Amino acid sequence: MSNLTAGRRSASRESLASRTAVMALMLVLMVYFLLPVYFLIVAATKPQGDLAATNGLAFSHFNLFSNLHTLFTRSDGIFLKWALNSVIYAVLGAGVGTLISALCGYALAKFRFRGREFLFSVVLGGVLVPTTALALPLFLLFSSIGLVNTYWAVFLPSIVSPFGVYLARIFASAAVPEELLESARLDGAGEFRTFFSVASRLMAPSLVTIFLFQFVAIWNNFFLPMVMLQKESLFPVTLGLFEWNGQTARAPLLQESVITGSLVSIVPVIIVFVLLQRFWRTGLAAGSLK
Amino acid sequence: MRNTASRVRLAAAVTAVASIAVLAGCSSSSGNSGSSSAASSCAPAKGKVTLQYWNTVPGMDKVVALWNKQNPNIQVQTKNISNDQYGTISNALKAGSAPDLAQVGYDELPNLRTQSAFVDASKCSAATAAQSKFVPWTWSQTSFGNTGVFAFPQDTGPMALYVRSDIFAKYHLPVPKTWDEYASDAQKLHSADKNLTMTFFDPNNAEWFNGLLWQNSATMYAYSNNKWQVSVDSAKSRQVADYWQKLIDEKVVRTDLANGSTQMYAAYQKNQIASYVGAAWGYSMFRDNLPSQSGKWSIVPMPTWGTSAASGDWGGSTVAFMKGSKHLYESVKFNAWLNTDPQALALENKLGGLYPAATAGLKMQSLSQGVPYYNNEKIFDVFAESSKNIDTSFAWGPTQKTVNLSLQDAMAKAAAGKGTLSGALSTAQATALKSMKDLAIPAEAAGK
Repeated sequence: MSNLTAGRRSASRESLASRTAVMALMLVLMVYFLLPVYFLIVAATKPQGDLAATNGLAFSHFNLFSNLHTLFTRSDGIFLKWALNSVIYAVLGAGVGTLISALCGYALAKFRFRGREFLFSVVLGGVLVPTTALALPLFLLFSSIGLVNTYWAVFLPSIVSPFGVYLARIFASAAVPEELLESARLDGAGEFRTFFSVASRLMAPSLVTIFLFQFVAIWNNFFLPMVMLQKESLFPVTLGLFEWNGQTARAPLLQESVITGSLVSIVPVIIVFVLLQRFWRTGLAAGSLK
Repeated sequence: MRNTASRVRLAAAVTAVASIAVLAGCSSSSGNSGSSSAASSCAPAKGKVTLQYWNTVPGMDKVVALWNKQNPNIQVQTKNISNDQYGTISNALKAGSAPDLAQVGYDELPNLRTQSAFVDASKCSAATAAQSKFVPWTWSQTSFGNTGVFAFPQDTGPMALYVRSDIFAKYHLPVPKTWDEYASDAQKLHSADKNLTMTFFDPNNAEWFNGLLWQNSATMYAYSNNKWQVSVDSAKSRQVADYWQKLIDEKVVRTDLANGSTQMYAAYQKNQIASYVGAAWGYSMFRDNLPSQSGKWSIVPMPTWGTSAASGDWGGSTVAFMKGSKHLYESVKFNAWLNTDPQALALENKLGGLYPAATAGLKMQSLSQGVPYYNNEKIFDVFAESSKNIDTSFAWGPTQKTVNLSLQDAMAKAAAGKGTLSGALSTAQATALKSMKDLAIPAEAAGK
């Protein structure tokens, strides 16, 4: 009896210890990941004069609203234009990109044709090539057809995502039963109808995952726009903030706008994540089943 | 460092021919002023012209918009190249897509000239006529000692001493007039309060140190006998180096701060540093980053080496006429307006914080008023005076950036206790000679 209690006690103590260890590790990781965001929030509320003068992790004079006002009115409101550009690039790019990935992945999963595995391998190979490495060749290509310094220069490369195709194929083969497709075809639906009314519905959670991946990738993309764009009015937020940051030596007050602008620029990403997080998890789980 | 050297060597093959050609032109141009009579290439264009102008000045698009409104036939497009200014320019030169006008720092002019980056605008009478409108030393640098007109000066950074008058008053110290007084004040401050130092020496800032050398007329380069005469390491420059070495050894100046860094402002904020050896464009840095010290700062002339006033320049830029421009006449017209018109200068000062190189600019309204942050003192009078006292014979070398990097490396080691600042000068001297030899630019150590 007493032995049993002792054993149970030690077991519970062990689990308590390991639980504490896990929690401590999680806590450390949380601090590690959230600290920069916390710093950004704190710094964005300070007037320029407090940035160097006060502790970076402690609030001082609350100046967020005036910082925001400066940010949005600086250079005739160019920041708003940049933000709008980022939204256009990211939402349209991710939307069209997801559609293409879904069609492509679905075709690779559900149709049997010669060279299918080869095509898939090529797409997989594409995952391995970093987009940064492609920026310069793309620039030369676009500059010879006169697309450099236009919306297209950033938009067109953004809708291509080998990783999205890969995910879509896995999701499609896991989530869309052959039987369902066959019955749809028997009922007289064409291939596109079958895809849009049946398959895409079943793939919806995974499509959200692909959309999120693409959205974040395009939103954070910096190198491609930097190579492609010269006109300030076409810049996305990332490039615009970088340009401002380069001018802080001559105009110190720009520093606060760069910081406030950085905070504003992560808000849409957070909103999109919170809204679509549910689908995101289902999508990932569906993928892991395969 | 090794990386830079090998890149330079690689570039040598490409630029050697060009640079020899340029230097030949440079050496003979004094007797060959006939080249400026080719007035035909300065003819105004018929119809509407569009110029490209690359710069790093905040708000320059507004200034240009003003010009574009007044000059429908000469439209100017700007591009901001703040990030990687010289990389962008040099890539464009290689690609043959350089703009008509580009912002180039004074110390980068000789380097770009050896790459044949500029066009001589002296064939335009409006260009040569502009000489009288600029502070003398700026013209001597953009004209390479009156051998042509390759750029118009835009802004300058005449140096002065920023002092915390409240700290000086607290320890009953008068404002130092000479570097000797400055050093003895530094010792007094530090012995009174161990946490207090007179200033900081930023070993990674060759541009700043060059300004100090300039003040002592420690000429780094000259051109004679068809050769560059290198005197980076000279008695005058050693005087400056030894002076700061002594302050560093006595630990009465700090060496752990970088100019303009957050750490630097934090140290000033904590009242740990009593002065700042700076340039005209620095006034807004203190005003905007240390607002709580309003009224505590004054700006006084640089301490001097001898009895006569002398000053140096730190930073500033020119607007250069780039090779390949098809519209030289219009470029000169716009460039002259941009850098001498009072309205343009006032706007550049307001939006971009530029301290003008044009003498008319020094008299502008916003530069003749007291500045509230500095106790309503007329600080720009100090900078204008400093500007007048800058040695006009000082010149930069064709491999200035490489030399600056080498100097910084060696100064950083000296600040860490390995070697001395005067040793850094001899390292930089060797680098200057070697880097020019690698580019097949004739150079020799100046006779001592």
